[in-house]
Amino acid sequence: MDLLPTAEQDEIVATVRSQLRSDFDLHTLAAADGADVVVPADLWRRCAELGWFGLGLEESLGGVGFGLAEETLLVAELGAHATPGPFLATVLGARVAALAGRSDVAAAVLAGEAPVALAEVESSGPDERHLRITDLGGSRYVLVVDDERVALVPSESLDATAAESIDLLVPLATAPLPDGTAAVAELTGDDAAAVRRRGTVLVAAALAGIAVGTAEQSVAYALDREQFGVPIGSFQAVKHRCADMAVRAEAATSQVRLAALALADGRPDAAFQVEAARVVATSAAIDNAQTNVFNHGGIGFTWEHTAHRYVTRAQVLSRTLGDRRDHLALLLDEPPPA
Amino acid sequence: MNLDLTDEERAFREEARTWLREHLPTEPRPPEGDEMRAFDLAWQRTLFDGGWAGINWPAEFGGRGLSDIQQMIWYEEFALADPPFTLANSCTFVGNMHGGPTLIVNGTDEQKARYLPAILGGEEVWCQGFSEPGAGSDLAGLSTRAEIDGDHLVVTGQKTWTSYAHVADLQELLVRTNPDAPKHKGITWVVCDMRSPGIDIRPIRTMSHVTDFCEVFYDEVRIPLANVVGGIDNGWRTAMSTLSFERGTGFMADQVELAATVERLIDEARVRTGPDGMRPAIADDEIARRLATARAEVTALRAMTIAGISRNARTGVPGAEGSMIRLFHGELHQRVYQLALEVLGPDALRLTPVDGEGVWTGPYLQSFAYTIGGGTTDIQRNIVGERVLGLPRA
Repeated sequence: MDLLPTAEQDEIVATVRSQLRSDFDLHTLAAADGADVVVPADLWRRCAELGWFGLGLEESLGGVGFGLAEETLLVAELGAHATPGPFLATVLGARVAALAGRSDVAAAVLAGEAPVALAEVESSGPDERHLRITDLGGSRYVLVVDDERVALVPSESLDATAAESIDLLVPLATAPLPDGTAAVAELTGDDAAAVRRRGTVLVAAALAGIAVGTAEQSVAYALDREQFGVPIGSFQAVKHRCADMAVRAEAATSQVRLAALALADGRPDAAFQVEAARVVATSAAIDNAQTNVFNHGGIGFTWEHTAHRYVTRAQVLSRTLGDRRDHLALLLDEPPPA
Repeated sequence: MNLDLTDEERAFREEARTWLREHLPTEPRPPEGDEMRAFDLAWQRTLFDGGWAGINWPAEFGGRGLSDIQQMIWYEEFALADPPFTLANSCTFVGNMHGGPTLIVNGTDEQKARYLPAILGGEEVWCQGFSEPGAGSDLAGLSTRAEIDGDHLVVTGQKTWTSYAHVADLQELLVRTNPDAPKHKGITWVVCDMRSPGIDIRPIRTMSHVTDFCEVFYDEVRIPLANVVGGIDNGWRTAMSTLSFERGTGFMADQVELAATVERLIDEARVRTGPDGMRPAIADDEIARRLATARAEVTALRAMTIAGISRNARTGVPGAEGSMIRLFHGELHQRVYQLALEVLGPDALRLTPVDGEGVWTGPYLQSFAYTIGGGTTDIQRNIVGERVLGLPRA
């Protein structure tokens, strides 16, 4: 039993980190604020070449052949850097296509030629159900997730309307529910549930990453920024907020890793562990992102600073593949681990 | 990263489960006095005879020399066995979790031979003499004086918040041997015989009605120099090795038990009538969400504990990261019992003992100790901020 990454896993993380630093600098990406397509096609293909979209996909399905543990580490880094782009849906979409026998579709997704947007069903009234879609621009497919199935549909088959997004690097749109005939690949029943659960772990990983990234940002600022002639991190009020952020990040990270391993191993308590990870990571991300703005004072309130990116990303992710209430209810329904 | 248990660890779990089924006491723990001491020591002896004392202590000192993972498995099995008492509420705690481990790291061969077997074998009870009326969070500011007189220390002063002092044989005692040195450099860690002339023990009643809390007065108490552990004036370092242990795996039993407590509380919420007087408590949205949150958080606490064990296994010593677990655990423990009173409804006003079957209000009152004892959460946050995150001291 060991919850720390191996040397090989540390190396994967280091590679991802250096790539994100050079290619996904948030100040550079700010030029894409509000655009339909946030990650340019050539950069998306570069991520594909690094094997990111199929990192945890079995080799027999066309993937790189690492496990969910490595995929979780990758997605946590994406969260820690507030990386925009349809990573989650693309990773899940490749899996859905491969498992549904559409290896051609999977290959295009894995090669970075066919980004996948994410859609889930949203209600705005008793009889008003529609799709909420993120990252539709530039996508070839949309991964539609609902309670019964997960399906890849061609993006152009949806009659989408753009909406103002709280996160300017996560384009938002709505569309009427698809009629079900358009799917190029579809999973139902237990297969669909397995993909949703895997997605839940990955969302939790991204949220835990936000908790870690914001804790690090606050600590770095508390060491650097001086007031009253000393670093503000020497003041107990600031220090204690940083300590709480570190604790929340540690709790979320540890539980996400445990959940990923439990799910990968097919353990009987996997669903319990996954839902617990999602609940803890959601609070950690939102609380840390909010506290991080405050820790930066006036500069944290500016558009130029990246602190707000984590705030809005945490809100988006906390409502991706279900929201906090959904997952609290799911967790309470699970039998406790034996 | 893996969750696999080795064959040995799996066998250990089976062995523990079987043994506990046959040996766990069924009668409740007496709440106070000599009966309580006798009960705690008898259980310690039963553990020792069964080979379950000092699971992660080195074999050369009478332990089993097993891993922290196995220690955790033991606590998990203990909690699952539905015991009539909690592990942390025992007068054997300080010996097993503070005094013993400190001697293992800092003691001489003679000291280890003298004290360690009696701790594991349930022959002697230890208590802690650290805090003073004027030295709480500022522990290094302690002023209980010790002067060297021949081959003895002569101790005069006062300690407080000493649990089980009235039933203890021995005390891990911090005294000031050099009043002129900087405050961290004039302290000595010494083993004090609690039956020495000049010791006066007075009970302190607590808000949870537990009667084992004491203050201890020392009037020229003579302690042999041979009882000094880690060297004269080196007591701060000696004490810190105990505290880092405490902040590492020392509270693992408590943490594991808390997961079982949350499950018991969820069961209560299914059978008790909720705030609307009609449906079960769990049907109330707010209670349900808080229960689910508590479940998620105790689950994460276990994951943090495993991560901590993984870290210790690589570095060989408990690091300051243990303070993160301690901090999270202390506050979570309180939240769980605060929630319990919401679930209880009318029974929230019925006082129960702290320990025993189906008790909630006693443990709620006791839970206030969890953010104070062993270093307040304010101090834990300082430690996380300074030693884990590298923020400057004030």
